[in-house]
Order: sequence, then C-alpha cells, then structure tokens
Amino acid sequence: MNITRLITALFGVVLFLPALSNAFEDDESCLMCHKYPKMGRVTDEGIQKSYYVMPNVFSRTVHRNVPCRDCHSNIKELPHKPVKEGVTCDSECHSIENPSTGKPFSHAPIYNTYKESVHGREKIAEGLDADKPYCITCHTNPLYNEAEEAPPKEIVDRCVVCHEDEAFATKWYNHTSRRIREVKRSSREIVALCSSCHADEELIERHVTAAAREGRELGRKFPYAAVAYQKSFHGKVTKYGNTDAANCLDCHASAKNYYMSVHELRPSRDPKSPTNEANRVDTCRKCHKAADENYAAIDPHPTKYKEDNLFNYYAEIIYGIVGNIALIGLVGMAMFETFGRMRDGANWILRRGTSWHRARRKRRGK
Amino acid sequence: MKLSNDASAVLETSMRQNKISAEVCRELEELVAMMPDDKKVIYQNVESNPVGDLFRYSVHIRIQHLLTFTTFLLLAFTGLPIYYNEAFWAVPFNSVLGGLEVTRVIHRTLALTFVVAMVYHGLTLLFGTMRKISAGKFDIRQTIIPLWKDARDFSADMAYFAGKRDNRPDMDKFMYKQKIHYFAAAFGNTVMVVSGSSFLFPEFWNSILPAAYASHWQEMMRLSHPHEALLALLVIAFWHWYNVHLAPGRFPMQWTYLTGKLTREHQIEEHFLEYLRNLVELPEERRYMRENLIEKGLAVSHPVQNSVFENYRKAVGANDETVTRPLPEET
Repeated sequence: MNITRLITALFGVVLFLPALSNAFEDDESCLMCHKYPKMGRVTDEGIQKSYYVMPNVFSRTVHRNVPCRDCHSNIKELPHKPVKEGVTCDSECHSIENPSTGKPFSHAPIYNTYKESVHGREKIAEGLDADKPYCITCHTNPLYNEAEEAPPKEIVDRCVVCHEDEAFATKWYNHTSRRIREVKRSSREIVALCSSCHADEELIERHVTAAAREGRELGRKFPYAAVAYQKSFHGKVTKYGNTDAANCLDCHASAKNYYMSVHELRPSRDPKSPTNEANRVDTCRKCHKAADENYAAIDPHPTKYKEDNLFNYYAEIIYGIVGNIALIGLVGMAMFETFGRMRDGANWILRRGTSWHRARRKRRGK
Repeated sequence: MKLSNDASAVLETSMRQNKISAEVCRELEELVAMMPDDKKVIYQNVESNPVGDLFRYSVHIRIQHLLTFTTFLLLAFTGLPIYYNEAFWAVPFNSVLGGLEVTRVIHRTLALTFVVAMVYHGLTLLFGTMRKISAGKFDIRQTIIPLWKDARDFSADMAYFAGKRDNRPDMDKFMYKQKIHYFAAAFGNTVMVVSGSSFLFPEFWNSILPAAYASHWQEMMRLSHPHEALLALLVIAFWHWYNVHLAPGRFPMQWTYLTGKLTREHQIEEHFLEYLRNLVELPEERRYMRENLIEKGLAVSHPVQNSVFENYRKAVGANDETVTRPLPEET
C-alpha cells in the first residue's frame, strides 16, 4: 500500500516538475527543441555554442514576457534554418506596446544614442571595434533582483483589495518597483566594469598601436585611465566604499540625464563631452562647488610616466635622490661621530655619574 | 684654560647681560684659569645625573615636543596605511580602525593637533624672544638661527672625529646638528601641512595659484606628502632616535625631553658656550666645578690670563687688579 503511494507520489513529482519550470508562455513552441541541455554545435573554429534555454532562468528575466521571435525575427518557420545574424537590441517588439507612444516597444532610442558614442559598434564587429562593448557586455540577462522573488505581503495585500488577482499584483509590483528603485550600479561596480576593458593592457596596446599607425588621435589618458584613477584620491576612497567620490561616469557622462548619458560617452576632444576643456569646470562643480578654471586643470588621472607627465617623472627621481642623500648623509654623520667619540672612550651607558669610564681608566693607566 | 674667541665673546655678553659684579667676575676668571686646556679632560671627569643637571628646555617646549612626536608618529601610522592601502599590512590595519574612511578621519584629526602644536611653538618662540629682548638677555648665538659659525663648527667637529683635531669646537646651546634637525623638521612639517591642506582644500589652493601651475602644484603636493613623510619617519627612526637613545652616553635615553635638563658632561662636551653661561649665572655650578677640579687634581698650575675678564671689569668701572686670590696650593 505504502509502496504504491510512494510510486504514485514520485510519478506526480516527476510529471509536475516540467510544468513548474516552464513558467513563461512558450506560444511559439521554441522549447520543443531548446529545452534540451545538449542542444548546440561546435563551430568551424572549434568553439562550442550552446542553444539551450533554461526555462526556469528565462522566466525570471526582464524579457520573460517578450516572445522569442520579437527578437529572433528572422526565424519564420519550424524547424528554422541556420541563424546567420544575431539578435540586435534596436529591434521593435511587435507584441509589446509602448503605453506612452502607442508604438511597438523598442530600445532603438538608447541604442542610437549608444551608436553615436565612442563605444558604438555593430553587433557583429571585427578588428578594433570588437574590443568595444555591445549592449550585452554591460547589460547581462538575467538581470533579476532577488528582492522581487517575494513582493512584500503588506503591499500585495493592499493591491488585491481592488485588483483581486494576486498574480497580477505581483507582476505589476515587480515591473514597477524595479524601475523606480535605484538601479544604478554602485561606484565600485562602475569602476570594475570600465576597468574590465580600460585596464586591459593588451587591449590598450592594440588601440595605441593602431592609432599611431593610422595617425589617429587618441585620448592622452587612454593608456593609463583606469590604473591612474585607481591611484587617485577618487579611486582610493571609492575602492573602500565611499560613494561620494567621483567614479568614471560622474565625470565622463553628462549630468543632464544619467541613464541616457552613460550610453553616450564621448572622448574629451568632443565638444559634447563633459571632460572637454570647455565643460570641465561645470563637471568639477557637480561636487566641488567652488571649482574654477585652475581647479579644473588638476589632472584627475595622475601618473609619473615620462610620456604622460614629465614634471612628475623628474620630480619623483629628484625626490628619491635628495631623500637618499639626506638619510645616508645624516646616518653617516652619526656613525662618524660615534666612531670619534668612542675612540676617546665614550661608553654607551651613563653609569655612576659618567659615560667616560674607559677614558678615565685609560688615563689612570698612563 | 685659554678661551677661544667664540668663548670670550659669549662670556663677555653673558657677564654684561647678567650684570655680574667684579667679585663674581674675578671668581669666574680664577675658575676658567684653573680649567685645563683639554676640554675632554673636563667633561670626562665631571659627575652627571642621567636625568639632567642643567636647565635647557621650558615646559612649553617639552609639551610641544610631546605633542609633535606623538601626533607625528600617529600621523605616520595612519598615513602610511592610506598611501599603501593595498599592502598586506595596511589592509588589516585599516580594517581594525574601522576601514580606510575611519583612518582618514583619524589622520585629519591628528593633523589638526599637529598644526596646533606648530602654532603653539611659534607663539612660544615669539613671546619668549620678546621677553628676553625686554629683559636685555637676548643673544642670537644662543638661538636656533643658523650662523656662519655653525659651518665652522661642523668642519671642526668632523676634523675632530677624524682625529685631526684635539678637541670638539666650542658650540652653543644649539649645535649645528640640532640646527639641521630643527630646520629639517620645520621644513618637513610645513611641507606636510601645506600638502595635506591642498588635499583637503584643493579649491582654495588652486584659486590662489596661477592657472599654469595649478596642476603641477597639486601633483607636487601629491608627490611631496608621502615622500616627505617617509623621509621624516626614516630620519627620525635612524638619526634622531640614534642620537637621543642609542649614541654613546645617551643609552637608553636622554631625559631632556621630560625633565628639560641636560647632563653636565653633555653640556660641556657639545654646548661649551652654554656651559660658560651656566657658570656666569649659577654660583653653585661655579662652586661645583672649582671643587671638582681641585678634588680630581685637574686644576692647571700655570693659569693663562684671559683678557675678557679684565676688560669687563674695566667696562663696569671696577678697580682693576689682577687675580688677587692665590690659586690653591695643591695644584
């Protein structure tokens, strides 16, 4: 009897599990194939590609309500033909309407801003452009928040009074709260994110060499930006959790609209850049209210490399020489003095009223 | 003892400033005449109290030294972990204090105390000098101000250490070594305060500097603060501590910074001119030296005449006679 019950229960669990994990609606039947973990191939270059979609993960991402073919728009039939083009982030989502405009929802506005920035590139990029970040370099998916797993009961309780459906209330809460909550990366995360490329010596070398070959202008601080920042005051205190000090984006992104301008980073030679000479004072004044032209001239990425800062390079060397001479000279003088005084019979310890016992003994001997 | 020109000049000034009587002048003349020419013999044969015999530093100077050295050391111990914040020893140190942000706050608080000590010292010097001038007891040779004599003393002292000279030069209250140390510290402190304040108030410093130098200034300060700190710490650890704790006769420590007094043998050896002032001002010191020389059989039998005493007596209008009292028989 018990065994029969156990078997029934086990069957029940096994049968029920897939239903639990397929929480999002798969109207297009993509999971028919993509639910298999071994789904994938090895490319001609020997790279293993996985086409496995984990339903329980995808069902918690920001895109859980977007049908697959809104992004994978070149798929027309099932089974589909080999995919040649990847998904780009500027496509329109036909099935989701932007409630403010009535048009199909799209990331195109921010995508176009990004394309104009110094980081702008195509999805499939070659050469130096491949070093630049594409949308998903910074925006990883799933970007879900653990706090959303269980919305606060007191809030849902209030919602269901009118909206009745608890699932609706939960979904609405998650969508809205994510967007009104502070979703900026922390200063430390921003520095780490920017440094993942800007502190990569091989990447820097590639770009410096190419720019020199092509006679193209490159930011003067490009080779040292991340390393020098980490040694600056801003960098040090940020590293230890201070949130008031400037991180990369505080200076390099325009103050107008943070969420837009972080996608619009420009080199300092661009007049639109907040680090352009014409805009620097205003940029400094975001935090340093009394900043003036002189203040804005301070190098926020100080180095002591000869090719970057000749003044610092020689000042460091001179400091080293002067310091060593002073120390060696003074200690040498003390040693010489000790030698001279000990020859005359000075003892280390003043005992019985004198530190010249040996001198006295010597004279008595005479 | 045949007095050097420096010694004669200091004695002359000291006698005049202290308005000593012709009687005391004669006593001094006898005492100096009894002293052997070899200064070594004098300082090697006096009794010294390890905690000090002769007054040197006022309580204000001692408090300033205590304030400066405690804040200096703590500033170094909190500043180095900030500068070398990634070092294996700095990470746990900062954590123990409550994180780098806390270390910074402690560092700045100490810096303020340090500045207060400097201001206190400046005021002490100012008012102390004013008091001495008004009392008619100011002598620039007794001050820390570097004089050409210090260069002569330096070379003479080096010649003595090298064995090319019989005695150390007659040096004043502050010898060349102390003047180097004082001005190195004064310069270093100023660099630390100026550079530190340029980190704390960059807007202020850059608003008063020409635009062309604004960035170089800040860079120079960024460079100077840790370099000067490290240099100062090394100089203190390897030179100053050696001189006051480890050098012969000073081990395990010179008590001057606590008692304000210097040992007699040290005063005679390195600050002979100041010792002559002590002889002018302190009857008990004259008495001690006289008895000590006689007791140890060191008083010279053929005393040398020093014209400084005779001149002084003439200047104060005393009836001049040569040494009236005969020298003790046993010499």
